[in-house]
Amino acid sequence: MEGIRKVAVIGAGVMGAGIAAQIANAGIPVLLLDIVPEGAKERNIVATRAIERMRKTEPAPLMSEDAAKLITPGNIEDDLRQVAECDWIIEAIIERLDAKQELYRRLEAVRKRGSAVSSNTSTIPLRALVNGLPETFRRDFLITHFFNPPRYMRLLEIVAGPETAPDIVAAISRFGDIALGKTIVECKDTPGFIANRLGVYWMQVAVLEAIEGGLTVEEADAVMGSPVGIPRTGIFGLIDLVGLDLMPHVNASMARLLPAKDAFHAANRELPLLTKMIAEGYTGRKGKGGFYRLDQSGGKRRKLAIDLITGDYRPEQKPELPELESVKDLRALLSAESKIGRYAWRVLGQTLAYAASLVPEAADDIVRIDEAMRLGYNWKWGPFELLDKIGPDWVADRLAAEGLPVPAMLELARGRKFYRVQNGVPQYLGLDGQYHDIVRPEGVLLLSDIKLRTQPLAKNGSAALWDIGDGVACFEFTSKMNALDGDIIALLEKSIAIVREGFKALVIYNEGENFSVGANLGIALFAANIAAWSEIEKQLVAGQRTYLALKYAPFPVVAAPSGMALGGGCEILLHSAAVQAHAETYAGLVECGVGLVPAWGGCKEMLLRWQNSPALSHGPMPAPIKAFEMISTAQVSRSAAQAKEMLILRPADRITMNRARLLADAKARALELAQNYLPPQPAVLTLPGASGKLALMMAAQNAHKLGKATAHDLVVAEGLANVLSGGECDLVDECDEQSILDLERMNFMRLLRTQPTLARIEHTLETGKPLRN
Amino acid sequence: MQIYKAPLRDMRFVLYELFDSRTVAALPGGEELTPELIDSILEEAAKFTEKVLLPLNASGDEEGCHYENGVVRTPKGFKDAYVAFREGGWTAMACDPAYGGQGLPEIVNKLVEEMICATNLSFGLYPGLSHGAYLALRHHASDELKQKFLPKLVDGTWSGTMCLTEAHCGTDLGLLRTKAVPQADGSYRVTGSKIFISAGEHDLTENIVHLVLARLPDAPAGVKGISLFVVPKFLPTPDGGVGARNGVLCTAIEHKMGIKASATCQLSFEGATGWMVGRPNKGLQAMFTMMNSERLSVGLQGLGLAEVAYQSAVAYAKERLQGRSLNGAKRPDLPADPIIVHPDVRRMLMTMRAYAEGCRALAGWVAQALDIAERATDPSAKETAEDFTALMTPIVKALFTELGFEATNLCMQAYGGHGYIRDHGIEQLVRDARIAMIYEGTNGIQALDLVGRKLPAHAGRYLRRFFHPVSEFIASRKANPALAALVEPLSKAFGALQLATVHIAQSAERDREEAGAAAAEYLRLFGLVALGYMWARSAEVAAEKLPAADGDAGFYQSKLITARFFMERILPQSFALLTSIKSGKASMMALPEAAF
Repeated sequence: MEGIRKVAVIGAGVMGAGIAAQIANAGIPVLLLDIVPEGAKERNIVATRAIERMRKTEPAPLMSEDAAKLITPGNIEDDLRQVAECDWIIEAIIERLDAKQELYRRLEAVRKRGSAVSSNTSTIPLRALVNGLPETFRRDFLITHFFNPPRYMRLLEIVAGPETAPDIVAAISRFGDIALGKTIVECKDTPGFIANRLGVYWMQVAVLEAIEGGLTVEEADAVMGSPVGIPRTGIFGLIDLVGLDLMPHVNASMARLLPAKDAFHAANRELPLLTKMIAEGYTGRKGKGGFYRLDQSGGKRRKLAIDLITGDYRPEQKPELPELESVKDLRALLSAESKIGRYAWRVLGQTLAYAASLVPEAADDIVRIDEAMRLGYNWKWGPFELLDKIGPDWVADRLAAEGLPVPAMLELARGRKFYRVQNGVPQYLGLDGQYHDIVRPEGVLLLSDIKLRTQPLAKNGSAALWDIGDGVACFEFTSKMNALDGDIIALLEKSIAIVREGFKALVIYNEGENFSVGANLGIALFAANIAAWSEIEKQLVAGQRTYLALKYAPFPVVAAPSGMALGGGCEILLHSAAVQAHAETYAGLVECGVGLVPAWGGCKEMLLRWQNSPALSHGPMPAPIKAFEMISTAQVSRSAAQAKEMLILRPADRITMNRARLLADAKARALELAQNYLPPQPAVLTLPGASGKLALMMAAQNAHKLGKATAHDLVVAEGLANVLSGGECDLVDECDEQSILDLERMNFMRLLRTQPTLARIEHTLETGKPLRN
Repeated sequence: MQIYKAPLRDMRFVLYELFDSRTVAALPGGEELTPELIDSILEEAAKFTEKVLLPLNASGDEEGCHYENGVVRTPKGFKDAYVAFREGGWTAMACDPAYGGQGLPEIVNKLVEEMICATNLSFGLYPGLSHGAYLALRHHASDELKQKFLPKLVDGTWSGTMCLTEAHCGTDLGLLRTKAVPQADGSYRVTGSKIFISAGEHDLTENIVHLVLARLPDAPAGVKGISLFVVPKFLPTPDGGVGARNGVLCTAIEHKMGIKASATCQLSFEGATGWMVGRPNKGLQAMFTMMNSERLSVGLQGLGLAEVAYQSAVAYAKERLQGRSLNGAKRPDLPADPIIVHPDVRRMLMTMRAYAEGCRALAGWVAQALDIAERATDPSAKETAEDFTALMTPIVKALFTELGFEATNLCMQAYGGHGYIRDHGIEQLVRDARIAMIYEGTNGIQALDLVGRKLPAHAGRYLRRFFHPVSEFIASRKANPALAALVEPLSKAFGALQLATVHIAQSAERDREEAGAAAAEYLRLFGLVALGYMWARSAEVAAEKLPAADGDAGFYQSKLITARFFMERILPQSFALLTSIKSGKASMMALPEAAF
């Protein structure tokens, strides 16, 4: 089949609407259909409401307002014919076979030949879904199982039937991968596919063992969370999030579908407490609360947790678990002679054994299982990675010692590990007992792979420079949270020289959760506290010099951010010749939030962006006003698309939907630019000077009068206005870049010496939240 | 001879000229704090300490305390002196008027403490411990307990103690074993043995109020399982008198190197009745809230001894005739020149003087901050002052006691053999000064507190309270030619301190032992820079006042000269300290244990 240019999603519930949103985020028009409620005047109301709701939901399913406009609401009575224009039809309606099949029959009558039809079912086998449907349908049909929320969860499980046409599977996989940014995991037509098969088992075991082991919900969550690489919600927090009522439902469907010998049945016992809670409406966060709830009675907010034995709520207690403080590795935690240690072992031991038993029944190899758990449940490590950490032999021996069955896959790993690196290539242990290379899809380039097989061109404690082939070098931040410090600036300066000598282009990229959270505030604050002003100023000047050198480098610099790119991290984007951004890029100049002004050229570059924007009227005033609005309020984009609206990205900058493709895309962009590359001409700015500053400050003073800005906000705003208005410069003058950089530096240093700014930095460092002083 | 005249002129300089006593007078409760009032208090204190306490110092040391059957008798004259002390209202001076105190601020109180420590450290420990007990009760006890004990502690009819140490635990209080078992009536039965309890038993007061750290039966192990109890020697009667004897007994007193007139007791608690002060298992925190004031007081012991050592040495150096000045006889009329003509003797005298006056100024700065922390209503001023006292407490305690010990040794050196024999009372000063480096947290612990807790706290926020004023002072005085000779060395030493601070912050992140290895030298470096700052500020004031000083010109001239001496002859030690700090722990930790 050819490319996918239009998509229909049927069913505008949370999942259907979320999937439609992600398709729209990819720039593809999408039809969102649902039923006409009985007696409804507005016949599209279900879909319309879903879109409206998504505009307000946090975290936002939509990346931009433009994306929202790509979703056309409709209903299946009047608009089903429109699916004829769609290349892919996704069914995301109620989990009832008869309803789904009835819809399929109606679709079959209207859809165009060769269009793909898929179901987002999580519980019904594909063979049941297509049973009795015509061959033409069966060859175009597959299951595409998204995870909630579809924009943010990177897993897409795909199940193809024996009759599904390979080109349909290929087209949807490719679209899901490149356009929707998902990692495709091909699953077999087995209950729960991969992620939920294991996830549901893990949840059931984790709840059961907590009750039987006499743990509190807080204790269980503290163990079954970050210590084992599982999100902090742990187990009970997660159930509260997904809804308690879902559990018996999903468990029942698993119990019905799984073979009698499956280990799930032994764990699938009814939990009277859960039944009682659901009956009383304690279904989790969407209901009156769940294992945790907020008690707002009496005007006070109290966090309560349920007692697993009595079923009564009591104040939440922070568990004191010395095991977690002193334990350095997972095996030690699992070996601890305490209820916590036993719990960790009981849950992980059974879960990992279960995972091992799923090869080859549910997945052809271990890689898919690990990927599914990492991307579908946000586990830091997949089950086989966990086994490698603990030691596969140790787990096998302990299972055997406790009379539990040792799965064949675990026996196969005796004396070995599930993963290894051979000649710089990562490999996994296959069912055949041999190691096989992990092959990345075409267009996927991972720095972590490159790092396995090469040495850095340059490196220090906070950054490294890598050769990523074809004449392109990659600069990687390696500091904690990729915070920028003196070492990074120094290596960046050195890297510019290295790239100039031997490379065509430079990509700035890393595989951290965030591109960079900005300058290292801890170091800056400490230096300010000991009044090391000249040292701070020196660092500031070094940063300005280096960023300027980046901008005017004789080779193209392509920044490739993902996650947060704040402050100095955002200024990297602003000084790069081009940006190849992951769709989930949250960029902004947030310095004012901590009482400072951007001083590595951020003010200067934003002025230039707005000055050169065709959208803005001419004259010296509009650009400072726009930059002031954005910087003084420390705005951060909620997506790469929004960063474009804010001019942090230029119109020509590109967006990559799939995180794994970011480096390859950035490299390709860099090579494209490297042909006949000419660095930009030095920029000049025309700024309004003192009168402009007055105008900017008026806005700030109004905000202060309305109580929207604090006294220190005004001080900071004044520093920013000093910079953005061009300071003492006159209307007729043209300022060069250095004069704006000097203003940035002077105002930064002045603000850094104020007590409220230091208090803000300290508060942000210690709490992660802004201080409104 | 132990020679002492309270340095009232210098004290006034600190109070009114270097710092502005009105800063504290402007705080709530300071309304009546006029210079006249302060002056008269200081003059009375000078009289009392010079006339009553100083004469008892050597005799008390000679005689020591006597122990017999659980009873301790203080040396001759101590009881009368204590009665006079109490009746003079000195025990009530720095206490809350709500309990009969006079509510005077620390900036005044600490000067009086300095005089007491200078003239009779052993004596000073009795009321000193009472004040510690007073502070603990005032900040943490229930109203009922406060009413029961505070008025008596304030008027001095009862005294207090702090019972922390046990035979197997001194620095590491997490190990302590004394038990407290709750009773039906809300009281506790306290059982266990305590050692090294200053003023644990004596004949100066009708009752002794012990503050005891102990464990509840279900307490968690370690420092998180310690609670604080008040256990009186005699149970108070409802009318405020003393009733039945409580189950606490002095089983022995220690034989010590110095402070011999202070009774250092072993106490045995056998089911003694006590009441909890503060919350269960939060005893250490309760103890630590008054630590800043207590540790500053121990610092002042060092300062007091430095002052008496200085004065005693000056007197001797002026009268002792030995040798001739290197540039020819200064007193040809005498058989030899007085030894004060010799540069090396001058070196010792100037060092002692620079220590004493510098420390007095620094103590004044910290005491003022203690008052602001205690009394200010503006939360930001309060936080600044709290940060500052938290930062400076270990420095004052360790630096002052070290310099005090050095000064008494210099004094002995000036006396030569006559200092080493007992007759002149100089070796007593050395012996007395030694303990201050040990108790109230050894100086090693102070240094660890500084590098491990105070330095990294809130990304260096405590440091800001010192570094910013010093940095601003240097920046704003750099262009002043009159001060250049003083500001330049301060600026360099301050730079060394900044480098050392960054070095420790960075190296400790890699390896915590690095901070431990640098701690003692860092504390001394920090202390020297703090004294340097005090000297630069003092010199600035002196230079300003000198032209119109008239009769006081000599005082200001001396300030200027001593300031220069400090900057030129003492402060340069900073660079050596920085060098050893930067060399890291390697050579210190390399030797295998077996090689020792």
